[in-house]
Amino acid sequence: MKIVIVGAGEVGTHLARMLSKVNHDIVLIDEDPEKLQRISSQVDLMPLTGFANSFRDLQDAGVSKADLFIAVTPFEDRNFFACIIAKDLGAKRTVARVNNGEFLSEKNRERILRFGIDEVIYPENLAAKEIVNSIKQVGTREMIEFSGGKLILMGIKIRKNAPIVNKSLEDISHINKDILAVAINRGPNVIIPHGKDIIQSEDIVFFITTKTNQNLILEISGKEIFEVKNIMIIGGSRIAQKAAEKLGDQYNIKIIEADRERCIKVAGKLGNALIINGDGRNLELLKEESLEKMDAFVAVTGNSETNILSCHLAKSYGVRRTVAEIENTDFLTMAEGMGIGSIINKKLLAASYIYKYTVGTSVSHVKCLTASDAEVFEFKIKTESKITQKPISEIDFPEDIIIGGIVRGNTGFVANGDTQIKVGDLVIVLTKTSSINKLEKFFK
Amino acid sequence: MLNFKFIIRILGFLLVVEGLAMLIASLVATIYGGPDMGGLFLSTLITSATGLLILAITRKARKEIGKREGFVIVTLVWVLFSFFGSLPFILSNTIPNLTNAFFETMSGFTTTGASILTDIESMPHGILFWRSMTQWLGGMGIIVLSLAILPIFGIGGMQLFAAEVPGPVADKLSPRINSTAKSLWAIYLFFTLLETVLLWIGGMTFFDAINHSFTTMATGGYSTKQASVAYWTSPFIQYVITFFMILAGTNFTISYLLFTGRFRKAIENEELRYYLFFIAGFTIIITAGLLVSTQFGVEQAFRDSIFQVASIITTTGYATVDYLHWTPFLTMVLFAGFFFGGSAGSTGGGLKIMRIVLLLKNSYYELRRIIHPNAIIPVRFNDKPVTEQIINNVLAFFMFYFVIFFVSTILLMLVVPDLPSAMGAVATSLGNIGPGLGIFGPAENFSALHPAGKWFLSFLMLIGRLELFTVLVLFSPAFWKK
Repeated sequence: MKIVIVGAGEVGTHLARMLSKVNHDIVLIDEDPEKLQRISSQVDLMPLTGFANSFRDLQDAGVSKADLFIAVTPFEDRNFFACIIAKDLGAKRTVARVNNGEFLSEKNRERILRFGIDEVIYPENLAAKEIVNSIKQVGTREMIEFSGGKLILMGIKIRKNAPIVNKSLEDISHINKDILAVAINRGPNVIIPHGKDIIQSEDIVFFITTKTNQNLILEISGKEIFEVKNIMIIGGSRIAQKAAEKLGDQYNIKIIEADRERCIKVAGKLGNALIINGDGRNLELLKEESLEKMDAFVAVTGNSETNILSCHLAKSYGVRRTVAEIENTDFLTMAEGMGIGSIINKKLLAASYIYKYTVGTSVSHVKCLTASDAEVFEFKIKTESKITQKPISEIDFPEDIIIGGIVRGNTGFVANGDTQIKVGDLVIVLTKTSSINKLEKFFK
Repeated sequence: MLNFKFIIRILGFLLVVEGLAMLIASLVATIYGGPDMGGLFLSTLITSATGLLILAITRKARKEIGKREGFVIVTLVWVLFSFFGSLPFILSNTIPNLTNAFFETMSGFTTTGASILTDIESMPHGILFWRSMTQWLGGMGIIVLSLAILPIFGIGGMQLFAAEVPGPVADKLSPRINSTAKSLWAIYLFFTLLETVLLWIGGMTFFDAINHSFTTMATGGYSTKQASVAYWTSPFIQYVITFFMILAGTNFTISYLLFTGRFRKAIENEELRYYLFFIAGFTIIITAGLLVSTQFGVEQAFRDSIFQVASIITTTGYATVDYLHWTPFLTMVLFAGFFFGGSAGSTGGGLKIMRIVLLLKNSYYELRRIIHPNAIIPVRFNDKPVTEQIINNVLAFFMFYFVIFFVSTILLMLVVPDLPSAMGAVATSLGNIGPGLGIFGPAENFSALHPAGKWFLSFLMLIGRLELFTVLVLFSPAFWKK
């Protein structure tokens, strides 16, 4: 697939990195040659110094033959215009990053489709969704629902006190056959586990299960279930506003923002939250606003360091659920090990979201697990393929790929060796990023 | 810590590739039924077996390479290829002495073309073919070849590619490094075949035609005749070779643009214009000089001068006349050409046209900068400003080049009787050209040189081919610090 990406910011470079691992032809355009030089020495792609809105530069990049054109500069007007040009030059599909939720509504989507913009992504919206998910689902680091919740992927940090520490996957399957560990983050590595692998403390384990077993998983992982009522959000950024909007009225939300002007604006927009003007790093202020009574603490200032530190602080004051937005990708692995709860990176979210456009029509959902080199795919089995011929245990899968579960009709179930996949199934597969290209042949 | 295991594994892979190349030479020897058959097959066996053995032992190597590993791999590959590549000469008893055989092979792979052979016609066909083939393989580059045929390098490929491809910046033809390498080799192969056919039509035997095509396209300069191209007096053959020498000295990106129909972009390339301008300038001066100083007709004078100029500037090193017999002025004019070299991204050696143009522009702009101290005057190339980083890199390259040139000339004076010979030998080795001055002129060879001198020149050829930095960086303390 020939892909042209405009904007070598973090979304662009992360996408380029992901896509080049699976042998796509990538041209990356940016105005800054230094940014390009850095990425092109690490990733196999064609760097091109040029402007997003230049006909000549886009032509030089071969946009007319591109299967996918992705505009992810920080400026939405520029992205829009680049997509319009690209579509006109002959790009098959265009994706623009936007900074405004307006474009997401069905009506407006149709309008911009007429200009030649096929898809829009709004990273802040994705991040807000993720925050809401992690607040609603306490105890987990990450949670993905498939087919409206028929199957669930949960990422859970295993502490020393968890009953399943030092147990193998086989032991766990004896507890309940509808629980399957499909990936383990251990330090900087991700492991696709098999029957004999042992779960250690400090692992982040990703389980596939059905909705009914959700609480059982929390139980065997040593997590307490509690209800979230009071939420404190540091930073009145767009993500914070979106998240507060989505959370709705059933929570008590406090938003702390340092900039007075912004406070006024946010307060005007949100009726369901209390806006407090102050520095989120000021402990006195946080205590005054009863930090220790909070059930959840969300740090989404523009500064990753502040977010990490304030979540750390909140944890030490006994806040059970913390969510930190970390935009600096270099910090991700480190932050993951610091015990500050869930981590949100809107660029990674955006990249995985775009990623699904590159993996054929049979894939309905792709997501990159935070801070790890693993990807979750949801395949719709449309025709007979290699995968439907034999039970899973008889198919010769590479080690880094695992089938997590299947949704058939209205029921979801966790896969085991005897499962036979049929046409019409929705299959959830986990793979290391480096093995994605091996995946395709099983489903074709 | 360097990932030595994977370095060795890649070297193993590449040895197998070299073994395959030897096999082709062995088959040629078999066709001609020469006495070199045994030696060539034995070399094939040793080289491939060593490669396979390495592959078998290093199966579990981590597949991670960074910049440092890249430099080590590229340098070692060229040394290793030269050692194993000299086996056919030694085992077939055609060049029994290791020093001589290594010199001949290194001179081959680096596309220098300086030879120690005193009677080339007496060599069996298989050996001659292998000798030309070393140049052909070395011309486009061993790494580039392996990138094209083996999917082994993964992410680190670009680093290896950049470390081997001549010029201050390595251009990619297409987004993926493998397809870039494939395109480069496809163009290279196409030109080689085209030249073979033309030379064959021009009256060469098929064997001579293919050998000369190999060494022309690589800007190597090995001939199958002791007299070099002068053996063929046909103007057609000489013009064909001249044309292909000039072609081989142009950036292959330009050929690629031509093949994909982007003529305008190709012709507008600034380096190409300067390159042709320099060739034309030298040719006009020397043609005029020859017309004044000799009895030659215009055609003869033009043909002699453009052939020698193309041969020297592209760093091929063929000869149709002995330029040492020209008037000293003309010889010195041509010697200036020793430092030009082909274009960036070509198979030629030397400083490269692009570097020279950047240096000249930068120096000229410096005059303007002195008059307007507050002016921002960037160096522009192909209508784009060149970053200061690249200018610094080019300045450092230039400085290294000339320091190495002078220090090596002084060192070589230990074993060479006169200054012109020493200077010529160093310039020709560092620029991967072939013939030098004095006792190493185009009609002579390097067989009489002291063994120490041969090893030293071999080293200069290597650092010249890999454009100084790739090799020199290995000798810097910073490289080995943890």
